[in-house]
Amino acid sequence: MFQDLVTANLAAKGTMVGGLKRKHSDLEEEEEVEKWDWGPAGLRSYQQALLRISLDKVQRSLGPRAPSLRRHVLIHNTLQQLQAALCLAPAPTLPPEPLFLGEEDFSLSATIGSILRELETSMDETEPPQNPVAPPGPQNEVLPQPDPVFLEALSSRYLGDSGLDDFFLDIDTSAVEKEPALAPPEPPHNLFCAPGSWEWNELDHIMEIILGS
Amino acid sequence: MVLQPSERYHRDWSHRRLGPWCSPTGSPAPLSCETGCGEGSWILVCRLLVPTQVSLLSMEEDIDTRKINNSFLRDHSYATEADIISTVEFNHTGELLATGDKGGRVVIFQREQESKNQVHRRGEYNVYSTFQSHEPEFDYLKSLEIEEKINKIRWLPQQNAAYFLLSTNDKTVKLWKVSERDKRPEGYNLKDEEGRLRDPATITTLRVPVLRPMDLMVEATPRRVFANAHTYHINSISVNSDYETYMSADDLRINLWNFEITNQSFNIVDIKPANMEELTEVITAAEFHPHHCNSFVYSSSKGTIRLCDMRASALCDRHSKFFEEPEDPSNRSFFSEIISSISDVKFSHSGRYIMTRDYLTVKVWDLNMENRPIETYQVHDYLRSKLCSLYENDCIFDKFECVWNGSDSVIMTGSYNNFFRMFDRNTKRDVTLEASRENSKPRAILKPRKVCVGGKRRKDEISVDSLDFSKKILHTAWHPSENIIAVAATNNLYIFQDKVN
Repeated sequence: MFQDLVTANLAAKGTMVGGLKRKHSDLEEEEEVEKWDWGPAGLRSYQQALLRISLDKVQRSLGPRAPSLRRHVLIHNTLQQLQAALCLAPAPTLPPEPLFLGEEDFSLSATIGSILRELETSMDETEPPQNPVAPPGPQNEVLPQPDPVFLEALSSRYLGDSGLDDFFLDIDTSAVEKEPALAPPEPPHNLFCAPGSWEWNELDHIMEIILGS
Repeated sequence: MVLQPSERYHRDWSHRRLGPWCSPTGSPAPLSCETGCGEGSWILVCRLLVPTQVSLLSMEEDIDTRKINNSFLRDHSYATEADIISTVEFNHTGELLATGDKGGRVVIFQREQESKNQVHRRGEYNVYSTFQSHEPEFDYLKSLEIEEKINKIRWLPQQNAAYFLLSTNDKTVKLWKVSERDKRPEGYNLKDEEGRLRDPATITTLRVPVLRPMDLMVEATPRRVFANAHTYHINSISVNSDYETYMSADDLRINLWNFEITNQSFNIVDIKPANMEELTEVITAAEFHPHHCNSFVYSSSKGTIRLCDMRASALCDRHSKFFEEPEDPSNRSFFSEIISSISDVKFSHSGRYIMTRDYLTVKVWDLNMENRPIETYQVHDYLRSKLCSLYENDCIFDKFECVWNGSDSVIMTGSYNNFFRMFDRNTKRDVTLEASRENSKPRAILKPRKVCVGGKRRKDEISVDSLDFSKKILHTAWHPSENIIAVAATNNLYIFQDKVN
C-alpha cells in the first residue's frame, strides 16, 4: 500500500512528515485527506512513490496479451504530470537519497516515453489482415473492390525482406549481443545517469524486461 | 502509411438499398412501468450461474439445453475465471437476456411464460441457449494472445421467428442466429431412419417426407464474421436504427459495417496521431443515436463526449458537438484525468439525453447543452480519498457501465462490494443495493445498504475500509419496459424485480 511505501521510507531515516513524527496509524488517517499540507519533503516523497508505482505498472503491463492502450495512455499521462511536478518542486533540504532530482527526471521520462513507444509499435498495424472473401454473388451484384482501410499497412515496408530488417532496426540488441566484456548498453545521449547509480540500475532493469519480452 | 481522405473508399453498398439516412421502422413499445427506486421495493427473482457443464456438452452434440440447464442451476463450485460474466444485455422485448463471459461463451436466458398454475414464476429466467461464440487466438506476427472474452453483446430487433445478436471480443465481431426447431422431417427416400444413404436400386416406392414434432431444440449458428478490421481492442458495438448497419469502436478507430458485408467496413472515426508518441487520448465507448441513424456519440479517456453526424463527411473526425465539463480546481490531483475517463456512454431511450459514467460519478447530459451536464450523481464519492491506493491496485482503471430504465426516469450503475446504485432523476432519491449470496433467497426483499464515511458506524452500515474491491458490479442491464434488472457479479447473474410489478 502507498502509505507503507512512504512511511517505511521516511520512518527508516527518522524523517519527519509535515513537521511531526507520526505513527503509522495516524498517517493512515491523514492519508484520507490527500490535500493535507505535507510539506515539501513529504510531498516530494509522495510524488516519487507515485512515480515508482507508475513505472512498476508499465513493467507489469508487458505480457503475453496485448496491453490495454487506455490504461497505458492514462499511466503515461500521469507520469508526465508527475515529472512536471517533480521538476517544478523545490529541491528538498534533506540529504540527497537515491531519488530523482533535477535532470534525472527528464531522463527517466524520456525513457518512459521510449518504453511506451516500443509498446505502441508492437500494437501498430504490421500486416494486411487477409480476409477470407465471401463467395461472390451474381456478377451484377459484385462491387468494385476498394481497398479496405486496414490495408493501409500493406506496403513494401512489411512485405519484403528489407521491410523485416527495418522492423528490427529499432530494437537495441546491444545488451544481448555476445561481447567479450559484459558492458551495459550504451545509454542515449540525453540520459543523465551515472552507471551504477540507482537510476541506472532501474533503467537497466526496465530495458532487460523489454528485450526479454 | 496513412491513407489520405481521398483514398478512403466511398460508403457505397450499391447492391443494397441506398438512400438518405432513413427513419427507423416501427416504434418502441409503450412504456408502462412506474419507477421503483424507493426503499424495500426490489426483490430477488432468481440467481443464475453460468452453466459450465452444459456448455461442454452442447459443443459435442445438439441437445435440448433447456431441460438439462435447470438441473445445473444450483450452487456448486464449478466457477472458474472463464465463467466471469463480462457483458449483459436484454433484447428489445425483454423476453431474452444474453450474457457473455471471459471464456468466450454466450448464454441466453428466456423469461418464464405466464402460467395460471405458477403465477409466482413469471419473471424468472431460465437458460435458453448456450454456445461458444469466440475462441482464444494467437497473433503470430505480434506474438500476442487474443482473448476470447466477450466484450459486448447487442441484439438486433426481431424481424422473424429467429433471434439475432452481435457478439464481439477484442478483434472480431460475429452475428449469431438463434432459432428454435421443434419439427423434424421424416420419411426420406434416399436415406434410411439412421441417416445412411440407401442404394437407389432398392427403392421401389416413393413417399413424401413429413414434418413430425420433436423435442424443442434451440440452435445457434454464426451467420457473419466481421474480422480483421481492428488493430486495437474493440470496446463497443452499436446497432444503427436503420437496422442495416452497425458500428464497432476500438481504442483509436470506429468502423461502420453493413450486416450483409463482412469483407469491408468504413472507417468513420480515426483519432490515431501520425506520431504515436503524441497519443494522449483514446476512445472508450461509442453508441448510435436511437432514432437518428446519422448520429452517434463516442467518449474518450479525457472525459469528453463527441456527437458526430455522418452526413457531414465520410470521416467524422470533426464533431458536431463536444461535451466537456470544466474541471473543478479544488478537486485537482494527479488522478484527475484517470477518474474523468469515461467508461460508458448511453443514449436515453428518448434520444434527448446521454448518460456517461466516469470513475466516481454518473452524469446526464442534454444534447442541447455542451458545456456541462444537467445532472451529476455521486456513485461512491468516499473513494475520492483513496485514489492513490486504488491506483496502486489498478481498481481505478475499472470500467463501470451504466443503464437507463425504460422510461428514462431512473439510472443504475455498479460499484464495489457487489453494491449497485440507482438514482431517480425525478425525486432525486437514490438507493444502494447489494447483489450477494447472503441475500439470495428467492423473493427476498433487498435491504438498502449504506457506506459509513466517517464518525460512528451504525449497525447496518459498512465502513469504507471494509469494502471488498474484488467484488465489483461492472455490468448491469434494465428490462426495456418493466422494472426487472439483471446484475452480473463475477460468475453470478442476479435478476431483481420491483415488487410492485
